[in-house]
Amino acid sequence: MKFRCERDVLLEALGAAGRAVAGRGGTLPVLSGLRIEAEADHLQVTGSDLDLTIRSQVAVTVGEPGATVLPGRLAQEIVRSLSPGAIEVSVDSNEATISSGRSEFALRTMAVEEYPHLTEPSGDQVHVPAEQLAAGLRQVVMAASSDDSRPILTGVLLTAHDEGLRLVATDSYRLAVRDIPGATVLGEGQKVLIPSRALGELLRVLGGADDVAVRLGQRDVTFEIDPSEGLAVEMTTRLIEGEFPNYRQLIPSEYPNRLTVAREELLEATRRVKLMAREAAPIRLSQSEGGLELKAVTQDVGEAREVIDAEYTGEELTVAFNPEYLIQGAEAAEGERISLETVDSLKPAVIRSLDGPEFLYLLMPVRVS
Amino acid sequence: MRLVVARCTVDYEGRLQAHLPEAVRLIMVKADGCVAIHADGGAYKPLNWMNAPNRLITDDPRSWRVTNSKGEELRITIHEVISDTTHEMGVDPGLRKDGVEAHLQELLAANPDTLGEGMVLVRREYPTDIGPVDLLCRDPEGRAVAVEVKRRGEIDGVEQLTRYLERLDRDGTLRPVRGVFAAQQIKPQARVLAESRGIRCVVVDYDELRGITSDELKLF
Repeated sequence: MKFRCERDVLLEALGAAGRAVAGRGGTLPVLSGLRIEAEADHLQVTGSDLDLTIRSQVAVTVGEPGATVLPGRLAQEIVRSLSPGAIEVSVDSNEATISSGRSEFALRTMAVEEYPHLTEPSGDQVHVPAEQLAAGLRQVVMAASSDDSRPILTGVLLTAHDEGLRLVATDSYRLAVRDIPGATVLGEGQKVLIPSRALGELLRVLGGADDVAVRLGQRDVTFEIDPSEGLAVEMTTRLIEGEFPNYRQLIPSEYPNRLTVAREELLEATRRVKLMAREAAPIRLSQSEGGLELKAVTQDVGEAREVIDAEYTGEELTVAFNPEYLIQGAEAAEGERISLETVDSLKPAVIRSLDGPEFLYLLMPVRVS
Repeated sequence: MRLVVARCTVDYEGRLQAHLPEAVRLIMVKADGCVAIHADGGAYKPLNWMNAPNRLITDDPRSWRVTNSKGEELRITIHEVISDTTHEMGVDPGLRKDGVEAHLQELLAANPDTLGEGMVLVRREYPTDIGPVDLLCRDPEGRAVAVEVKRRGEIDGVEQLTRYLERLDRDGTLRPVRGVFAAQQIKPQARVLAESRGIRCVVVDYDELRGITSDELKLF
């Protein structure tokens, strides 16, 4: 195998696929490698931990077609260390030579025949505007859990909703819901649970793409980004099996208390007051017709207090939240003004944008004495 | 189990030579023949010992000899016996490293729906000629389902279930038997192997099954 390309082109291809490479390969050491295959006029790089597979494809000048497996991290470090310009890679039996200018690296390869046969994408291709999908994912992925003991909550639920797509994620302390009208990825009544880790990686590669093709298989989903020029990426992830919690029952139809506030002002004040919310201390929001007071107290450290303008209807109420979750909800809500709707100090509150009904963030209060 | 607390000196000859000067020590003579000499400290590890099979000669109560086929010899010279007792300890039930796996099996037996809608338990520890499978259930269509329960689902567990399935499939009243691999966490490689063999993987939430609730306010 032999090919030539620009350093940045190869680095981008290795970097994209490398995101899926298993740390030490687990029981399959070859999975710590990147499978590279040169054919016709392009190079395909594959990285996988068997749950998530990323294939990247770039145009290169192929001297001799072939395939091999390079140690993933080391190959990326080598290519990154080279000066910008042309790189030539040639593979002979069990050694790859990477050369650029006066630098040359000889690198032991891994057995390509040991690389597992990964499932090919299946299902019909449906196209979704990349920008719309990326905006939706940014608003919900952060709410998914990272605790593997409840795998269902580590996923983002995609469900058909009102002739569009609904994205839902929760870690059981907060829940983010985002509707994407007009995106008909799923058939009526269809729903799938996609690992949030994979969607986080998808967000990285969506970048400036116009369009993403989605293929939904029986047990996996594939996202294909194929711009007219540059890096093409295909990402396949296993779907999570199981029933997502019934979140709809948690969203009350009406709230007795409603606060509306300038989003940036709330965010800045919360970030300031959060400095005194140490050791998992919550931030207390005292809501009244006079406005909103934010307060954080940490025993033996001190306290912070700030009052900001807000419109409020309802009974005076103090409710405490995890400051990080409050910030992430306010950041995701978008628009100039947002609302915070509450029932009491122990029931879930809702953050919405006044710009539109597509996003909703349900936030569980923290019990305080 | 014979426990002798005695003032003694001990000499070992074999791979090396070792001498324990005179002091009060505990001599344990286990039912399987193992002899171990313990000091009053140092956790579980004896100062000196001789594994079974061996030969213990106590003809002279002041000078014991323990020998084995490798030519090793342990000589215990007893100067004063402080205590000499023998206890019948019965059959040892073995080590249970933690109770989570057994408890998971118990909880799943009580809630077979967790393993699939409409699943009905036939019995726990269903016997096969290579050992009992954790749970045998029937699905809503009446088909037999063998369930292997693990705390961490790894390749070994899948192999174990595969062996059970192969044995159970020989029983005409059960055939065809499907497999379910249930664990708190399932390694990706174990999942791939299980699914390639038609075994369904189910991740179970131990805390949820136990009905544990913390003081934290949660949505679910």
